[in-house]
Amino acid sequence: MTRDEHAPFLENIPAYAIGALDADETAALASHLEGCASCRTELAEYRALGESLLTALPPRQPPAALRKRLQSRLLGAQKTKRLTFNWSFSQLATGIALVVLLAMSFYSITQMRSLQLEQARLNRQIRTGQTVMSMLSYPATERLAINSESVVGSLLLDRERNIVALIVWNMPQLDETKTYQIWLINPQDERVSAGIFRPEDDRVYTTYIVFPEQSVTDFVGVGVTIEPAGGSDQPTGERVFKVDF
Amino acid sequence: MTDANESKLIERVARGDERAFLELYDRHASRVYGLTLRILGDPMLAEEVTQDTFLKLWSRARQYLAERGPFLPWLLTIARRVALDRLRLESRRPLLSDVNDPENVWHTVPDPGSTAEESRWRTLYFAVLSLHPDQRKVIELAYYQGMSQSEIAEVLNMPLGTVKTRLRAAMEKLREIWKEG
Ligand SMILES: [Zn+2]
Repeated sequence: MTRDEHAPFLENIPAYAIGALDADETAALASHLEGCASCRTELAEYRALGESLLTALPPRQPPAALRKRLQSRLLGAQKTKRLTFNWSFSQLATGIALVVLLAMSFYSITQMRSLQLEQARLNRQIRTGQTVMSMLSYPATERLAINSESVVGSLLLDRERNIVALIVWNMPQLDETKTYQIWLINPQDERVSAGIFRPEDDRVYTTYIVFPEQSVTDFVGVGVTIEPAGGSDQPTGERVFKVDF
Repeated sequence: MTDANESKLIERVARGDERAFLELYDRHASRVYGLTLRILGDPMLAEEVTQDTFLKLWSRARQYLAERGPFLPWLLTIARRVALDRLRLESRRPLLSDVNDPENVWHTVPDPGSTAEESRWRTLYFAVLSLHPDQRKVIELAYYQGMSQSEIAEVLNMPLGTVKTRLRAAMEKLREIWKEG
């Protein structure tokens, strides 16, 4: 085989190695690879690079509770067969998800898109709710009152897991050109953006979860302002509330 | 790299030794959690997926073959797959502009480490950091969000050809640095 004949396959190898090649191109490359040792060597190198890329991320310490939970799961697994049940349950869940995806592929792209977005929105709501619930039941979570002229609510602060949750009642809906923006405030009184949000249309309260990049212990408070859509680098608009930790 | 001591630990885990398992956990949990947090952008989900990954290690340690390569990448490959499955299950794919900006993670400067493995991952860390942001974004979406090139093109609203060129250029550059390191 000449170099030119390899060329279209060679250029797809990096994407293939990290699983980013689209299905139609994947089939063609896979069958070429079967008969081509030099392309296989190339692939092996990119695969190895891909594996190393996994190790390139900065490590993050998981919560101490996870180790304890794993330990008790191991004990449980040895005493009962629960673990096997859990595995097959997660396989079942994956299977169901697959069937749903297959069924959904019959929908037009547009319908699918709006379904996905709706699904994602619901998932986010559910997850947010679950996070709030779990924080409320977590002994180390601190609950601080939000009390300003316009809104009331709670701020949940979990220093160990590095999560802040806002639950605010009667947050006024904003027009399209504006957004609420959350700021973490450090001891130097500087503001670091922690995300933007809009109230859900169908609810009287708004929940928003912040997972700060930095440790939440580096901050002394949280504020929310009204900013132009898309958010600002620094607060420019009206303050809605502020809570000190 | 997998040292002799670690190979022994893995063998012990394969035989159901809980203490060896916890020792492996203590060695690598922060890497697994770092990766799954990066993929999922949510501490609770990352914690669950880290748990699932280690439970898989517990049940599959005997499948690990030391001669095929080092242990940590093997473990992280499992973690990535579990995390990407979870990502799909939560159908979080369209939510790229979520709280965690992909750019931010690369601004955590890694601690200076002493072992050969640490220096190697720092090389790659800085290699990724040295990519042009446009190239890095494509790698991020492909590798940490499990997207195909045409999905990336759609999300970034960019011609497929551009995505392909960027991904290829980024991977070639990474390979160059990686080979030198
Ligand atoms: Zn070839």
